[in-house]
Amino acid sequence: MSIFAARRVARRDLVAVAVIAALALALLYRSQAAGETGSGNLFPYAYFVDDLPNGLRLVTVPTDYPNMVALYVVVRAGSRDEVEAGKSGYAHLFEHLMFRGSENYTPEQRDAVMKRAGADTNASTNQDRTTYYAVFSKEDLDEVLAEEADRFQRLKYAEPAYKTESLAVLGEYNKNSSEPLRKLNEVLYQTAFTRHTYAHTTMGYLQDIQDMPNQYAYSLEFYNRFYRPEYVTVVIVGDVARDATLALAKKYFGGWERGSHVPAIPPELPQMESRTAHVDWSSPTLPWVAVAFKGPAYSDEVKDKVALDLLSDVAFGSNSELHRRLVLEEQKVDELFVDFANHPDPELFTVYARIKNANDIDGVREQVLSTFARFTTDTVDQAKLDATRSRIRYSFALRMNSSPAIAASLAPYILLRRTPDTINKVFALYQQVTPQDIRTMAAKYFTETNRTIVTLASKTGSQ
Amino acid sequence: MARRILFVLMLGALLQTPAFTQAPSVLQPGTSPLIVFRILFTTGAAYDAAGKEGLASLTAALLAEGGSRSMTYQQIVDAMYPMATSVNWQVDKEMTVFSGTTHVENLDKYYALLKQMLLDPGFRLEDFTRVRDAAVNFIKVSLRESNDEELGKEYLYNVIYAGHPYGHHNRGTLSGLQRITLDDVRAFYRAHYTRANLVLGLAGGYPKDFDTKLAMDFARLPAGTSDRKAFEAPAAAAGTRLAIVTRDTRSTAISLGFPIDVNRSSPDWPALSVAVSHFGQHRSSNGYLYGRLREARGLNYGDYAYLEYFPRGMFQFTPDPNLARQQQIFQIWIRPVEVATGVFTLRAALYEYDTLIRAGLSTEEFEATRQFLTKYSNILTQTQSARLGYALDSRYYGIGDYNSYLRDALARLTVEDVNGAIRRHLSTKAMRIVVVTRDAKPFEEAVAKNTPSPIAYNAPKPKEIMEEDAVIQSYRLNVKPQDVTVVPVERVFE
Repeated sequence: MSIFAARRVARRDLVAVAVIAALALALLYRSQAAGETGSGNLFPYAYFVDDLPNGLRLVTVPTDYPNMVALYVVVRAGSRDEVEAGKSGYAHLFEHLMFRGSENYTPEQRDAVMKRAGADTNASTNQDRTTYYAVFSKEDLDEVLAEEADRFQRLKYAEPAYKTESLAVLGEYNKNSSEPLRKLNEVLYQTAFTRHTYAHTTMGYLQDIQDMPNQYAYSLEFYNRFYRPEYVTVVIVGDVARDATLALAKKYFGGWERGSHVPAIPPELPQMESRTAHVDWSSPTLPWVAVAFKGPAYSDEVKDKVALDLLSDVAFGSNSELHRRLVLEEQKVDELFVDFANHPDPELFTVYARIKNANDIDGVREQVLSTFARFTTDTVDQAKLDATRSRIRYSFALRMNSSPAIAASLAPYILLRRTPDTINKVFALYQQVTPQDIRTMAAKYFTETNRTIVTLASKTGSQ
Repeated sequence: MARRILFVLMLGALLQTPAFTQAPSVLQPGTSPLIVFRILFTTGAAYDAAGKEGLASLTAALLAEGGSRSMTYQQIVDAMYPMATSVNWQVDKEMTVFSGTTHVENLDKYYALLKQMLLDPGFRLEDFTRVRDAAVNFIKVSLRESNDEELGKEYLYNVIYAGHPYGHHNRGTLSGLQRITLDDVRAFYRAHYTRANLVLGLAGGYPKDFDTKLAMDFARLPAGTSDRKAFEAPAAAAGTRLAIVTRDTRSTAISLGFPIDVNRSSPDWPALSVAVSHFGQHRSSNGYLYGRLREARGLNYGDYAYLEYFPRGMFQFTPDPNLARQQQIFQIWIRPVEVATGVFTLRAALYEYDTLIRAGLSTEEFEATRQFLTKYSNILTQTQSARLGYALDSRYYGIGDYNSYLRDALARLTVEDVNGAIRRHLSTKAMRIVVVTRDAKPFEEAVAKNTPSPIAYNAPKPKEIMEEDAVIQSYRLNVKPQDVTVVPVERVFE
């Protein structure tokens, strides 16, 4: 018997279940689904989940896109894990340091491997995770995985290289700094969160970035904590077979030693008062208003998050009443959107509006607020709710147009539950949400004492 | 020049569309349930009337983000909503494309909307006002005041193509946009949205005969006459010129480049692609310049080089298709640096570029880059939409299937071909530099007095870097003081 706890999660049989026909899937296997009226899973691919004894998880998703392989390595380390004062931005710094060489590969040797493979390779960091990816031809999988495994387990950078790389992070801060929304978000999160680490941005505070060159020893500690197999899920999507990927994962990641760190992320205390802040922007720009409420964490079991997901489209989406009024009819706003991503801890449900004329800031803010208020008492229209479910279903299907796109769609869910199955579970939950559920959740979360409003306007006038 | 004329003649032949036939099409039938449309018109911002800069762009925006004759825009948005679909638009100098993807289950409904949006537009004043506001705010806020990198890159095009049909941003100028009326948009639509300018692109598992239906429907457009014409190379006065855009910003963004007589149809394009990928592959740590400026010195976030127009590069890793042009520039993109290291970084970029054109590629560098590009073309064309887009571009350039074309051309190349192409096309004879900064003075002084710009690091550097720095800190910019212009940001894209 294998020492690896492996389980195969196959696509469910297609059965006719009219009730959930709106989520009738296997969308990307049209030939197989032809003539079927039943349901499958929103995530239409068979996949394999294999756990190594050291805690590393491998998710393999064979697809019918020929030749290409997408390798995504999801590390459960984000700015959420940066608990020490003065140490914001280190998860992101590590995204950079991971390109600075390892025991068996200098940066130049890693570059050469990727260049030979014709790979598209990069990484990104957010509040909850750091995601490394490489997309390349299947014949290069062994060589690429050998190199990638080395840097995850045996990263090696000297202090001068560390200091130089910290300047590249400053360069990244610099190139972002002319975008007003970046500053607005920094202030919004700092105002809304007082204890939880969501208070700081993933990029980190400027003073912490400027201090990074002095923190070589701390950087080694950060690596030692989080670059451990129990924090890592390796996702391989494309023209691959599970036996081969599992053998490679054992070969290259099997000897990785499990760590012991458990981050102590301070929970946010309930907010007891509405909060506001304002950003004076030094150069000409259009004003922004951001209205945020603390929302629920991700769940594929209870309805809070999915109910408000559906409401985010109904109330603030492209065919919402508010969009029609502010953007199309009155034309006071030229950008209106919601940010309400999935997170392991409660985060923000934020509506952003960019206002064409500074005189309209108060009026737009009131219209946004009254929209929030309305859905705490009124139920959403059933037809609109159904249309929104349909939209979610198709937007997911339309995104899955290549192996890397499938891997990229999976990565956020891998962070949350380490399995694609959570996608199917959460979309099944969407089907159970009623208009009453949405009203209940709106009333629960959209309260005045749970609210933060931040505005941004140019000191020099709205150009 | 003869080759340029040949290319234009070839282009003309390709685009030749007799009035009695349907428009040409690029079809990529397959089994995917995702159906991709790319409806291409070979017209664009280069055809904006003088004083009406932005007209091509506004016309496309109004079609894609406005109502049809029988449906308001709100009704179209409502109909698109449950399908999660949209019609996207992109206008470049010589191409306008409308793209969209739908699940085959919604094909009929989606196509009914797409068809009426493009063939029977509503031209409502309220839609026009909204899309024009969006264009104005894009230039005033998004481009001028929120993204120094794109500002610098786009302004470089304005500088190089001053007085040329490519000389304004695709979205227009602020004064041009103010002058454009709804009647101008109607007239542009009538004159340019014709069968003579149309190429239909369709991919995916669409039903049998759907392509015929598409062609028949779009045959309703007037026959028209093709917009095709030769765009000459811009007048590029000899010497390096420096344009400094001043605005209140934290850091300094730098772009530099010059026109090249090479596009994807040119014999030297594959060879030059190898040189440019080696020197500055987009968003890759594999580029030579990136290695010298970012990795060795920590000057900024990245440094890249280009052979073709590549807008929005800070937001994406692969270029959008359907930006095909007769005229292209070679461009170096230096991502923002600290104000104190601005002049040093510019000198370093010029120094490294000079090294490239002096030394060329080694055999080893050539082989590695050739192998990279041979495989990387699969990355560029990995989605149906990209494959369709590349096929439309290949049709425009007359090069056949892009991947095969590139793979075959790369297989035949030698390092001498690449270094020969560098010698023929890359130089510093007519370099244009754009700097976006709050402090123009150090650049002006470096030009006027060749004031050195020494650099200090936060960590010890290898001897080789220190020696190179000693050369770079006084490296001549070769700009005459009269060839420096300083422009406040509120004056650009006026």
